[in-house]
Amino acid sequence: MSDSPVIEARAARPGFDRPVLGPLSLAVPGGARWAITGPNGSGKSLLLKCLTGQARVHGGRLTTAPGTRISLLAQDHPRPHPWPLSGHDWFRAMGTRVPEHPRIRALLRRRLDHLSGGQWQLLRLASVLAPAETGADTGRPHLVLLDEPANHLDAEVRADAIELITALPASTTLVMTSHDDELLGTLGVERHPLQDYLDAHD
Amino acid sequence: MTDLLLTPFVAGFLITLVLALAGSGLFLRGSVWQALALGQWAAAGGVLASVLHWPVLPVALALGAGVMALLQRVRDAERLPLALFLGGLAAVTLLAANFSQASLAAAAWAEGQLYFAGPNELIAVLVAAVASAVLWPWLRRVWLHAQLAPDVSAAPAPPAIARWLETAWLVAVIVLGSMVLGMPAALATLLLPAWGAAFLARGLTGALLWSQGLAIAGFLVAWTISLPLDQPFAPVLVVVLLLLALLARAGAALRRAA
Repeated sequence: MSDSPVIEARAARPGFDRPVLGPLSLAVPGGARWAITGPNGSGKSLLLKCLTGQARVHGGRLTTAPGTRISLLAQDHPRPHPWPLSGHDWFRAMGTRVPEHPRIRALLRRRLDHLSGGQWQLLRLASVLAPAETGADTGRPHLVLLDEPANHLDAEVRADAIELITALPASTTLVMTSHDDELLGTLGVERHPLQDYLDAHD
Repeated sequence: MTDLLLTPFVAGFLITLVLALAGSGLFLRGSVWQALALGQWAAAGGVLASVLHWPVLPVALALGAGVMALLQRVRDAERLPLALFLGGLAAVTLLAANFSQASLAAAAWAEGQLYFAGPNELIAVLVAAVASAVLWPWLRRVWLHAQLAPDVSAAPAPPAIARWLETAWLVAVIVLGSMVLGMPAALATLLLPAWGAAFLARGLTGALLWSQGLAIAGFLVAWTISLPLDQPFAPVLVVVLLLLALLARAGAALRRAA
């Protein structure tokens, strides 16, 4: 694990139109495996969205290490119907390499709108965790954000999802949210209640 | 086919291919309402040009581009495009009611003037076809990237110039298609084959090929029927494309059930 933080928040006030969380101060070291925990509506997803630019920081500071590549598995991704895209198309859209995983390979030629909820979640997870297709970004920090990755995972694909997450390179930083204690225990991630980092001023 | 009809046939064939490609992009981006507003304002531009005795294509393109700029600025997928469509319809109707030449032009945009397409239209369509082939890698990248949200990829997003070129290309294709085929026929070629293809295809490439295949089949059938039966081409094309799209949907349902 690197000493220099990949994520650093100093009295940050995340929100959409107005601040709804904070002040928040934390530092996530490079290569860390963090699970941000807390009750529903406490702002875990909002923090992840702030890091990807889908939400705003209204005060204070929330930064990532220079050159960091960020990928996010959102909590839910509703599929339009019909949606004429295959698994191959999805990996092309994400710009990531297809992993040598038989269950992922088996989904590549299937239409996305014909996959089960569990298969769709597994495919998205694999594409978020996979390295860039071109390899041009080698050497830059990679931050993977997973928002409730156990959602929709049925028994058929749960073990595959765990296998993919645990196979992340040590240099990649993982920050996830989950209410699934069993999953967090299996993955061996550090649990960090969001509440512990709120109202913490410099 | 007489030499007189060769130019309209080639122009119609090529613009059909390009419109079907653009239709797939609009379908994937969930922007089909934009096509309605754009097509209607292209028609309004054409009618206005006839009143002012200005060249049709630049005026139609300018109004189409203005509408697209507004649609890009205000993120409203349905209400704003529909309001703009109604505004464009009102503009065409008012112009037609007050100027005799506008009335003729409005009828031409509604019914389509494919049989009267000349070398100028053919050259414009050829340019659009070549531009589509050149821009294809960027178009595909922009359309694929538009599917990701709310997920986020670590790979860089398409550059702003790619998104700008895709928008400009879309405006040009819809305006040109409306000018050559007539607005209803152009909109039908944009929307119906892509919709039918979305049920049949197994992936993006298949969707594009099916869309173009259905559009060309519709064009050829409509061309073959409308000439000997002395029917206007545009409404015949709309009916044929509607039937083909419904057949495609039924065929896909049967295939899944089998």
